[in-house]
Amino acid sequence: MTPSMARTLNAFGLLAVSLVLIAAFLDQVLLGELPCPLCLLQRVGFMGAALGLALNVKFGPHPGHYGVVILSACFGGMVSIRQILGHIVPGTGTYGSAILGLHYYSWALLIFGAIVLGCAALLFFERQFAEPEAAPARATTFGIAMIVLAAALALANGVSTVLECGAGLCPDNPVAYELLQGLKGP
Amino acid sequence: MMSLPFFGLLAGFGCVLAGQRGAALLLWAVSMVVMLVLFRLHVTDALTIVL
Repeated sequence: MTPSMARTLNAFGLLAVSLVLIAAFLDQVLLGELPCPLCLLQRVGFMGAALGLALNVKFGPHPGHYGVVILSACFGGMVSIRQILGHIVPGTGTYGSAILGLHYYSWALLIFGAIVLGCAALLFFERQFAEPEAAPARATTFGIAMIVLAAALALANGVSTVLECGAGLCPDNPVAYELLQGLKGP
Repeated sequence: MMSLPFFGLLAGFGCVLAGQRGAALLLWAVSMVVMLVLFRLHVTDALTIVL
């Protein structure tokens, strides 16, 4: 695998992670399902993985960048496991609606696992880490567009979290955007 | 407070676009530490499961 091919694959990975975050954000905005604190932390895990992919797209593939992706997915997966275990006993309730029989945190764990497996598989292609012969290749327009999309999602999630939780910690079961309610007054 | 890791990573993406690799890695690391601290603050109740 050439470095430029690896960059393209990472750009597509960035698109895939962005689509996961877009789906979660659409559910929040269109269906009004506010993300719980653990849901937000799982989104941070996806954003961290996206940053590692963006590093590969912009600066070229590097084992350290894959480390960023894998560690972010592990941290996010840790949060997913904690949330799954909180609801795993029948009768203890769930959070949010299910998609294709699984709740968001269960899907999140599966996707974090897929991210780790995908990165582990890509690390076997060692020719991608070879120095380019001529001038260093630059990120493609598609790659830069994917980085900008991921950055926009980080901004959108940051702003919506401020609206939902204000400056403090989020409530365990949020029912409204606290900051907006505070602006409206009692 | 829970928005901090998002804004940290947003700054990281800005550094990536600006060609600042070291700064992007540093911002990622700080954001992950903040995320883990927030996780610790939110996970306070014991799980009712047997391992």
